[in-house]
Amino acid sequence: MTTYVYAIARADDLDLPEDLTGVGDPARPVRVVKHDDLAAVVAEAPAGIRPKRRDLMAHQRVVDAAASNGPVLPMRFGSLADDDGAVGKVLDERAEHWRERLSALEGKAEYNLKAVHRTDAVIHQVLAEEPEIRAVSDAQRTAGGGTHEDKLRLGEMVAAAVNAREKRDAELVREKLAGHAEAVQSGPGSQAWIADLSFLLTAESAGQFLTAVDELARDHPHLELTVNGPLPPYSFVEPATASAAPAV
Amino acid sequence: MTTAIATQNGPSRSGGGGSGSLYDVLELILDRGLVIDAFVRVSLVGIEILKIDVRVVVASVDTYLRFAEACNRLDLESGPNKDPGLPDIVGSVTESGARGKTKGALAGAAETVSEAFRSKTGDDDKESAPRRRTSSSASARRRSSSSKEDDE
Repeated sequence: MTTYVYAIARADDLDLPEDLTGVGDPARPVRVVKHDDLAAVVAEAPAGIRPKRRDLMAHQRVVDAAASNGPVLPMRFGSLADDDGAVGKVLDERAEHWRERLSALEGKAEYNLKAVHRTDAVIHQVLAEEPEIRAVSDAQRTAGGGTHEDKLRLGEMVAAAVNAREKRDAELVREKLAGHAEAVQSGPGSQAWIADLSFLLTAESAGQFLTAVDELARDHPHLELTVNGPLPPYSFVEPATASAAPAV
Repeated sequence: MTTAIATQNGPSRSGGGGSGSLYDVLELILDRGLVIDAFVRVSLVGIEILKIDVRVVVASVDTYLRFAEACNRLDLESGPNKDPGLPDIVGSVTESGARGKTKGALAGAAETVSEAFRSKTGDDDKESAPRRRTSSSASARRRSSSSKEDDE
């Protein structure tokens, strides 16, 4: 029977609620496959599982529960093994690697930060900082709004200025925050946000990081910043490669 | 480990049942996390729907017109001494309670404008902090974008 795998952890750290359930409808009971000191949190895989929001959240809920007492290596959503035996085999064959990764992530959590512009605030900034655009805007307003072509031309100028600020602010966010983290990874939604970054933080550095986020938001009120964390270290399960190292 | 959302106003729980903050990290669950060669992964067909761009598409005629219109609206009161980050305009939105001298109230003013710009009603959560309302309204847009996926 196919086995859905949620996470790898130390066997002794796991203390899952007895009624914990995971993906599927009905949600399948979660259990543990152990091999020596290592364990995988698993469940029977429902047939035809797809990445629906309900199941994604169930996945996260189980990984969170697994992480309550110690470090975990969260699996990507939808990882399926042929059976429990195949899971045990993977725990066995790469046992040293799993132990090393769990030690490396001990006491650390992922914090994901997303940044977008407050649209009106950034346009306001453009008008205040770019006299040329301000002049065009003033002229059009005086003329009662301008023609369709006038509006397009103004809008295009503003868009270019906003675009430049997106790049500038992306660098600013990373520069102000990366120093607090042991590692930084670009989030998968990089295209949808001005900045989408994940930071690996200890309990101590998390406090400093959140303070720095506060300061950033205060000093740059046109930025809308959202932090999610602490999270299981999805973005840091494997050692950082050279290309993924924080660009400080 | 508990999932909590921390905004720029300090760590806090997300409002409205807690799924909002989780939604923001679904992409991590889908695109990050451990991949083991010996395991197979379920098909991610249809997953693009979850990744709809939430950012304003800058290079489009619609956006140009919106930006031009915003200029018309915004610079009426933007004298040289105004802080460019704090648009001081209310338009038709009346949340006068959010305007005042404190930091939180100033954020509220920016928020009010931004909600007006998005034509969001935002009237379901007046008790919460202004910034968190912004976050939740952004989340709500994304949630609604993705709901198609769940409804299939």
